[in-house]
Amino acid sequence: MSLSADRLARAYRNGFLPGSRRTVFRDLSLTIRPGETFGLMGNSGAGKSTLGRVIAGLEPPTAGRVCFHGRDTALMNRSEYRAFRRSVQVMFQDPSAAFNPKKTIGTSYMEVLDLIGTPRPAQKAVIAGILESVGLSGELLGRYPHQISGGQSQRLALGRILLLDPEYIVLDEPTSALDVSVQAQILHLLKELQSERGIGYLFISHDEAVVRFMASRVGRIEDGRLVIEGEA
Amino acid sequence: MNPVLEIDALSVTFCGKQAVHAVDRVSFSLGGGEILALVGETGCGKSVIAHAVMGLLPGEAQVSGRIVFKGRDLLALSERERSAMRGKDCAIVFQDPSRALNPVHRIGRQIAEPVLIHGAGSREEAHRRAAALLERMGLSPPGNYLPLYPCQSSGGMNQRFLIAASTILDPSLVIADEPTKGLDPGRVREVEDELVRLTGGGRTALLLITHDLAVARRIADRIAVMYAGEIVELAENDAFFDRPSHPYSRGLLQSLPEHGFVPIPGSSPSPVSPPPGCRFQARCRDGKAVCGGQHPDLVSAADGRMVRCWQCR
Ligand SMILES: Nc1ncnc2c1ncn2[C@@H]1O[C@H](COP(=O)(O)OP(=O)(O)OP(=O)(O)O)[C@@H](O)[C@H]1O
Ligand SMILES: [Mg+2]
Repeated sequence: MSLSADRLARAYRNGFLPGSRRTVFRDLSLTIRPGETFGLMGNSGAGKSTLGRVIAGLEPPTAGRVCFHGRDTALMNRSEYRAFRRSVQVMFQDPSAAFNPKKTIGTSYMEVLDLIGTPRPAQKAVIAGILESVGLSGELLGRYPHQISGGQSQRLALGRILLLDPEYIVLDEPTSALDVSVQAQILHLLKELQSERGIGYLFISHDEAVVRFMASRVGRIEDGRLVIEGEA
Repeated sequence: MNPVLEIDALSVTFCGKQAVHAVDRVSFSLGGGEILALVGETGCGKSVIAHAVMGLLPGEAQVSGRIVFKGRDLLALSERERSAMRGKDCAIVFQDPSRALNPVHRIGRQIAEPVLIHGAGSREEAHRRAAALLERMGLSPPGNYLPLYPCQSSGGMNQRFLIAASTILDPSLVIADEPTKGLDPGRVREVEDELVRLTGGGRTALLLITHDLAVARRIADRIAVMYAGEIVELAENDAFFDRPSHPYSRGLLQSLPEHGFVPIPGSSPSPVSPPPGCRFQARCRDGKAVCGGQHPDLVSAADGRMVRCWQCR
């Protein structure tokens, strides 16, 4: 039931020199199991977020495979692929990107529940439960994304992901917009959710102390290669 | 010496379906060459203060109090007068450089742009000033940097370019809102150096909004801690980090990794209906009955710091 990267590579066309490509990373292999956290470090621009997006299926690898439950995601049929995309969620660095600016938070939440077929009458209780687990009051549901602070929207973004009941979450700098106390709360919350629901995390951060607190295994992207601690 | 910025009883309320009391009677002042760090819980009103000073609040914001910048009350000025000031004499550096910089223009053009917008010089003059500024920042020779597009340099480098673009007209006041967010430790140091350089001449004042207490500790002169729309502690850097006084300040420092990530339990009160007494009371370990009944003022303690707490007196 794992999520794994098998000899992944990702390169981008270099916009300015025709034909040239910039390799972000290559030959990168990594496995995350349910209930486990893999901590990913590396300097700004090292390719951590790119790896997160590729593993979650948001962009294709240039080479190599992403496997979910042992199946190559590139070979999945439509319904398998949908299940993969729903089961592997990403929480981005910039929480405001998670919400449609024209809709209230409550509307965005309800849309997610509509999508997965939660009946309208049951939605209120589901949302109330999620808000409680991310530590926010229901009053925020009536607001628009520009009317909430960075930290509030990060918690709301986590809540929105939890509505989907994912098996894996790629957490890309999930606490860099938060004050240290709320950061500590969110880290504890993530750990709790993990032990309750067995979610696996790919936890991306610059902050070594945070990564060490969260992860059982830690790797670092250096010059396009993943160096996993304790593995030669 | 007169302060560059003096904020007096600033309150900001957003009037929507429900009135959100985002900032409540905040006062502080900031002198030339000084760095004041504004820290506190997410959602406590730091960015709203920054936007109020810059005149960037949306229409539904009701603002009261006084914001005196170099002797002029900004709230009494017309929008035209304020926009003439914005980017020239007071500047703001937003957190996300990848969004604040325009991807299709070269860095040099973007750094030089304020000179042209404010009619402060010709195209050549603007270009010359941009080059000189990069040189002063230690980015030499400037010819290596001016032709770059934002996607060709790292997030940290772009943040420095953004600081350059915001400060090319030599503003007296710079507000930096989370300028080091999302940067790796090496890049954080570069941005810190930049901010220190900016205030080094003794003329420019910096209001630094940050969650990174290590950055505040390294470069700020004074620390203002906000909680639920109010300043709850205002102290000199050393005094604050060595002996935080307000229970919220202490809780905040306890949440740091070196103390084991121990969060303050609970969450902050709703800004729609803040409690009548101390706003931190429900989460406070030292809280007594009196704390919930009456609202504490921000008062000077023996060592000169200001604290808003019934139990710290
Ligand atoms: N346009 C708006 N309408 C209604 N409420 C708003 C609006 N803008 C901000 N708020 C509210 O004002 C309060 C203060 O927000 P602000 O953005 O200043 O927080 P902050 O201290 O900068 O937080 P962070 O550290 O997360 O950036 C929050 O409760 C926020 O939800
Ligand atoms: Mg803010």
